[in-house]
Amino acid sequence: MDGLWIIVLVGYALCVVQSIIALTAKRPVMPRLALASLIVAFLAHTIWLTVRGVREGRAPLVGTEEMFAFLSWGLVVSTLIAYRWYKARALQAFILPIVLGLAMVAAIAPSPQGQPLGIDNPLQRLLFPIHAGLILLAYSAFFVAFGAGLMYIIQERELKLKKFRTIFYRLPSLDTCDSISVKSLTIGFILLTLGIAAGIGWQRTRDGQYWHGDPVEIFSYFTWFIYLLLIQSRMNAGWRGRTAALASIVSFMIVIFSLVGVRYLGTLHPFG
Amino acid sequence: MRERLAFNGTRLDEALMTLVDQQTLDEGLIVSTCNRVEIVASSPSGAERGIERLTGFLCEFHDLPPGALLPHLYRHSHTDAVKHMFRVASSLDSMVIGESQILGQVKEAYQQAVQAGTIGRILSQLMHRTLNVAKRVRTETGISQSPVSISSVAVELARKIFGDLVDKTVLLVGAGEMGEQAARNLMEAGTSKLIVTNRTADRAQAIAREFGGGAVNFEAFYDVLPSADIVICSTGSPGYVITPNETGRALRSRRKGPVLFIDISVPRNIDPLVSNVDNCFLFDIDDLDSVVKTNLKERQREAQAAETIIESEVHHFIKQLRSLDIGPSVLEVKELLSQMAVAEFRRNRKRMGALSPEQESAIQDVLIPALVNKLSHPVIVHLRTAARNGESTEVLDELRKMVRID
Repeated sequence: MDGLWIIVLVGYALCVVQSIIALTAKRPVMPRLALASLIVAFLAHTIWLTVRGVREGRAPLVGTEEMFAFLSWGLVVSTLIAYRWYKARALQAFILPIVLGLAMVAAIAPSPQGQPLGIDNPLQRLLFPIHAGLILLAYSAFFVAFGAGLMYIIQERELKLKKFRTIFYRLPSLDTCDSISVKSLTIGFILLTLGIAAGIGWQRTRDGQYWHGDPVEIFSYFTWFIYLLLIQSRMNAGWRGRTAALASIVSFMIVIFSLVGVRYLGTLHPFG
Repeated sequence: MRERLAFNGTRLDEALMTLVDQQTLDEGLIVSTCNRVEIVASSPSGAERGIERLTGFLCEFHDLPPGALLPHLYRHSHTDAVKHMFRVASSLDSMVIGESQILGQVKEAYQQAVQAGTIGRILSQLMHRTLNVAKRVRTETGISQSPVSISSVAVELARKIFGDLVDKTVLLVGAGEMGEQAARNLMEAGTSKLIVTNRTADRAQAIAREFGGGAVNFEAFYDVLPSADIVICSTGSPGYVITPNETGRALRSRRKGPVLFIDISVPRNIDPLVSNVDNCFLFDIDDLDSVVKTNLKERQREAQAAETIIESEVHHFIKQLRSLDIGPSVLEVKELLSQMAVAEFRRNRKRMGALSPEQESAIQDVLIPALVNKLSHPVIVHLRTAARNGESTEVLDELRKMVRID
């Protein structure tokens, strides 16, 4: 880790504090600071990833450090897109802490040593970043769905209890939370499908096998299946509101597990 | 009394013209709304005479005997007047604190006065600052954040659930006065469709016609329930009209997200257990009322913060106004110095011998003004500081003695 990453951490940390204050305090303190620090941190973040990619001559997606750095970057991108589409400022307070957490993990993880396996020929050099990049971007979309689900549950609770605190006025409407959730689930699912397909192709070029029984593989398919189920039930069974919000939170837990837990099961994925 | 004092649209121009006579009052502005009449004016001949003239004007203009008004008026001058103006525009002086109409009315009054030509240096400064202060109060305090009437709370709740109300359907059960009012508010807030149902079909049809909606049989009410997003209930029935079991069954076919039930009937017409049905939100009149009460209290608290903002803004504005006061004196000092310099130059011209026209004009146009600026600079700085501390009169007097203006 280097000086640039310190800027990233400090920027996101400021933004976390600021967005939580904005969500709960009657009068937000220095509201512009949040946006300014987010932008500075995001720029530093982007530069860091670019520098790493150029220096190593490959996509910065190898090892825990780069994976978490890229995932948190994708998460900021998704939040910014969600903000642009829905003007739901409150979402930041739910997503930025996760971004900060991921960036901190990236800060303590060791940098990858040597060239990883499986990106030797040009086709592999192309398929590997598509596979890893798309899946990580899909995960960041699922993170956003998780945040929207949380907002829905909190907002619904305020409405059912009929005690309206400041947070009630700060959160977007139930309908907006639901739309953010549906849209990010759909986008995430498409990215995940493409990412897994690229992964299959990549594996094929490595050893000619489609299936290795690898825990990461198993959980990826599992995740894919869970989200398929989730989207299907939303579309066909009219599964909406609270249940759907809860489901996107639970599905997210599974993503976390396949991201963090599975690595301890022993895997051929180059996690580092 | 207030109604008799109101200035309506057409007479406002005339009133403004009469008010500003260019002697006692040289600038003026009238804010006249359904529950307040405010006249703001600036007087070169002092607050006492200005107020006297204002009272006289009010009586004359409205054909009232002199003195009849006195017990109904309040008067502010100097700092208090500025503070009052700030408080009015920020809606701290309103019946419902934080209501948003007054700012628009003040703006309009200002524009009208500008058009009538009765706004000068002081009032234009005051009004610009006033509008800024009102905006600051609105954004920096929560004074107009939360709704404070039953129907606006209902609309706010609908917004918190559905966001945009554009494609939403309102189902009005029963044709009570309050229910109709709530439906009207929702339609004004943007909902697109209204369905009315009532025990007497005629009344339902009458309301439906008014809003361009449809009427359905009271018995068929559960059939249309799934298509409604907001249900307002206000029948005269002594018992529950809407029950959880029936509702749950009816909504099973609905695939459009949550339903908001608003029960404004006394006694209640919607079983409170409806609240437990998935995706249903129920608010009765007591719930709405307690939200209104909490929000009102909240506004009172926020008003404290607003008062602090206003105090500091008044302080700033008065300072600014005082430094505005010395504007003419600064010019006076410079003018005097420059006259002296030119006179001295002429008097000593002969001693300088032959000068080319370029040299001569350089002395007049460059050297003398530069000298005047240099010499008067410390005096002006001193004057400004004095003005900020409210001592400009004393310093000006001293200055006049020193340069023997009088």
